[in-house]
Order: sequence, then C-alpha cells, then structure tokens
Amino acid sequence: MDDLILIGPELAVLITGLAVLLLDLWAPPSQRKTIGYAAAAVLGVVFLGTFAFLLPEPRMAFGGMLVLDELALFFKRFFLLAAGLVLILAVEFSDRLKAGESEYFALILFALAGMMFAASANDFSILFVALELVTIAFYVLASFQRHRTRSLEAGVKYLILGALASGFLVYGIALVFGLSGTMNFTRLAQAPEAVLSSPLFELGLLLVFVGLGFKIAAVPFHIWAADVYEGAPAPTTAFLAVGSKAAGMVLLLRVLHGAVPALVDRAQPVLMVVAALTILYGVLCAIPQQNLKRLLGYSSIASAGYLLVGVAALNAAGLSAVLYYLAGYLFTVLAAFLVIALAFPNVDSEEIGALAGLHERAPLLAAALALALVSLAGVPPLAGFFGKFLLLKAALAAAGGTPGLYWLLGVAIVGVVISLAYYFGVIRTMYWEPHPPTSPSSPSSPSPPCLAVPTPMRVALWLCIAGMLWLGVMPGSILNLTDLAVQSLAPAVPVP
Amino acid sequence: MSVGLTHYLVVSLLLFCLGLFGVLVRRNLLVMFMSLELMLNAANLALVAFARYHHNLSGQIMVFFIITVAAAEVAVGLALIVALYRQRRTAHVEDLASLRL
Repeated sequence: MDDLILIGPELAVLITGLAVLLLDLWAPPSQRKTIGYAAAAVLGVVFLGTFAFLLPEPRMAFGGMLVLDELALFFKRFFLLAAGLVLILAVEFSDRLKAGESEYFALILFALAGMMFAASANDFSILFVALELVTIAFYVLASFQRHRTRSLEAGVKYLILGALASGFLVYGIALVFGLSGTMNFTRLAQAPEAVLSSPLFELGLLLVFVGLGFKIAAVPFHIWAADVYEGAPAPTTAFLAVGSKAAGMVLLLRVLHGAVPALVDRAQPVLMVVAALTILYGVLCAIPQQNLKRLLGYSSIASAGYLLVGVAALNAAGLSAVLYYLAGYLFTVLAAFLVIALAFPNVDSEEIGALAGLHERAPLLAAALALALVSLAGVPPLAGFFGKFLLLKAALAAAGGTPGLYWLLGVAIVGVVISLAYYFGVIRTMYWEPHPPTSPSSPSSPSPPCLAVPTPMRVALWLCIAGMLWLGVMPGSILNLTDLAVQSLAPAVPVP
Repeated sequence: MSVGLTHYLVVSLLLFCLGLFGVLVRRNLLVMFMSLELMLNAANLALVAFARYHHNLSGQIMVFFIITVAAAEVAVGLALIVALYRQRRTAHVEDLASLRL
C-alpha cells in the first residue's frame, strides 16, 4: 500500500488519461474542449498534491525499483506543470486536428505518466519502460495531423530514429546487466571496480547514453530534432521540447550519478566534447532558418548542449544549474509555442516573415514571444540569462581541475553571442517590419485584422511570462529547491 | 562441444550488427523497421543468456518488457507507415523530403 501511495501522482495521471478516453464516448463533440480543460485542471490538483509528500529521506518502492526523493519530486512537478500548459495549448489547437481530439489529450497524459515514472526510475527496466511509454506516445502525437504530409513525415522520422535509439539502449542495458548481474541503480553503484573497469561494461553504458542522448537531442543523435519539431503539431513540439528533453536529462543524471558514480570522471571528456559540438551545431544551423518552429528546434539542440555543460562540470552547482535552466526553459519555450499556435492560424506556414507587424495585430503575443526569445538568447533579467550564467559559473568553478572546461566555456560564450543574431532577427520582424497586405483583392484595408486571444490561452501566457520574470528576478526561491533536489541524488540509500 | 555464454553472445552481436546494417543500408521503411526489430531481439538473446549465466531472473523479466514494448512499437509504426503510404504511395526513405533545410 505504501508503494502505491508513492506512485500516487502517476496513478492519478493514468486514471485521468483513461477517464478522458471514456468520457469521449458519451460527451457530445461540442464538449470535447471541456474535457481538455478538465484534464488540465486535474493536473493542477495533482501538482498541488505533490506538495503533500514530505521526504526527510528518499523512499524506495517496489523492491528498490522506484525511488521518490527531492529530485524525483522536482521533476514530477516540472512535468505536471508543463503538461497542464500543453493541454491548454492542445485544446486551443484541437480545431486543427480534424479528428480524435480526446485521444490527443489522453496521449499527452500517457506521455506525462511515462515522464513521471522516468523521474523516479531506479532500475534499468523502469528506465526502459518509462522511456518507451514517452516515445511511443510521441510517435502518435507527432503524426496526429494525418491529413498533413509534413506531420506524417515527422512521425515516421521520429519512429525510425527513435526505434534505432531504443535498440542501442536495450543492447546497452543487456551488456550492463550481463557484466554486473543487476539492473538496480543502487546495487550497481556498489559493483566491484573489476566490473566497472571492464571495456564491455563501458561500451554498454555508452550505448545507454546513446539512447538518452537521443531523447535530449545531443549531437550526434540530434538528426531527428529539426524535422520533427517543424512537422509535428505545435502542442506536440512544445511537449517534446520541454518534457521529453527533461525526461532524458533526469535519466542521464540518475544513471550517471546514481548508478555509476565511480565512472563519472571517465565520462567527463565525452560529456565535454558532446556539449561543445551540440552547442556549435545548434547555433550555427539556426542562423539561416526561415521557419520559426525549425528555428526553435535548433535552439533546443543548443539548449541540450548548455545543459550538458552543467552535467560535465561534475559539481553540485552544475547540477543545480541544470535544474534551474530546465525550469526557466519550461516557461520560455511554452510561451513561444503558445504564441506560435495563435499567430499562425493556418498550419502550413510558420515562416518568420508572416510575423511581420505582429505587435499591431496582437500586442500581447508579440510581447510574449519577444520576452521568450530574449530569455532564450540569455539577456538579463530573464530566466534564460540566469540559467546560462549559473551553468557557466559552475563550469568555471570546476575548470581549475580540468583545463578542457575553459575551451568548453569559450564555445558556450561564442554560442550565446551567435544566438543573439537570429533571436533578435525574429524580434525585428515582429516589431519593425510592416504587415504585408492581407489579400491582394483589398490592398487598401488600413489595418490588418487583430488576432483574438482566448481567455485560457491568455492565462497560460501570463503564467509563462510571470514564470520567466520571477525566475529571472528572484532566482533564490527556486535555487533552494534545486539544491535540495541535487543533494538527494547522492547514492547513499541502502537497498531494502 | 557444449554451447556456452560466449556462443550466445556472438550470435546476439551478429544479429545486432545485421540489424544495424539493415537500418543503415536498406531504403524501404518496412525493411528498416524489420531490421530495428532484429536489433531488439539481439538484445533479448543477450539478456536471456546473461540471466541464465547469473541465475538472476530479472534479465528474463526485462525480455518480456522488451517484447511487449516492441509489439506496441510495431503496432504504432505499421499504422504510421500505412498512413504515409496511402497519402504518398511510397514507402521509401528518399521520398520523405518535404522537411528539409
């Protein structure tokens, strides 16, 4: 019974998902949006419910397969918040799906359950099942607009490359299990040095990291990212950018610091090289982009690189900064995608040029997107600036022991400078380029049509803006949480 | 000659490499998808062999999870490929080019 209480939030999310599917059978089509809003409200309640967990020390469930500690709780709250906002976005978007709105909401909830299980994973079997629950839900979510070739194509690309990554992951798990004789992270942490230093074990671990690197879109496993981000429906892309990346990140931290703390030093050079390549690839490929969703895809690759800088620093400050950056990233990216869903009512063009004059048609949207891009670029006083600042500061503190980190810092700073160019290009288009005439037949219309912002979207947008500003201006409160979460990652918990 | 752990592992590695080769070389989506399943089954074989070697059943339990997940993946994957085929009349990777730089 205790075990079931510990996975209470996950169970609540799963039951909500099933309830959404069932309610769809009886509810008239006009009520589908209400179902979506109700599901978002339930997620809000579950989010508040997670604060009822008081954890003086980490608690294990199901024979040590799941762990509930401050890190797990932090990420569960993160995923619930993200999924709630994505659901509001999905309800707004549901007119463009043509069919199966409720299934879309339900799949978001199932993917959310997978992410929440991933946050608690303390065993390779849970890691695998949770990750696949997320990935398979996303295959469907990405290709949900079946009438659009681009959406289908995005889904198929994600499917093939995702399945390839799972193949590597599973083979890696098999090798790790074969050499150590256990799947449990806690027991693995106590494995003898002879096992840890065998090359086959390291190969297995490397293959596991390939699988996780695919989820966070790190070079060289990033090939899917730009295409899928562009082709998938906006709510899917938003959830993919925030949720899926964070799920990969929390599993990376769990495996690296929970399962094989003895090998962390040997992983550092690999992490540094991957981080540098990821940042450079992301920022350089983003420069010529004309499609806003594709631009954000490359920007998310670059963000994966910045997150890996914090991981490669190998100190508590770096990990804390990773969590902080993710929290800021949630509000920033979701704000951007809320605007994308509203500002591009016809789906097949998300060209940046179509944003021209947005500040006249919808001042709130233009302001929110501008804030989001400025935050992504890393300009104070927004969340994105402080996240990057903390990541680089942690890397600098660790650089005394490993001179390679200085190079990584240099690459990261160059990346920030380059990224300023393309983010501000979008802002310039929104504010300083005139709106093109809406239709050639009536070029004399003096003012272009205003874009309506429905109330739930308005609330979600203000929430994102408030989050960005709050995290940026008062980072102390959230940093307490992230420090607590990082402390609980120490693998000092005995296996029952 | 008795068949030991090494034999199973060599076969499993061969299967994995065959699968990977198939994914990289073949251009038909269905064949690529079959090769991906081959990679998963290579891991299954290795897991069963290791579980027997260690007398630890968690490896075999993992195999059941993998089989179940692979079934779900195939169900979704084939549906996607069929939907794409209906729209584009093709199952070849070269034709998936509407999303480019």
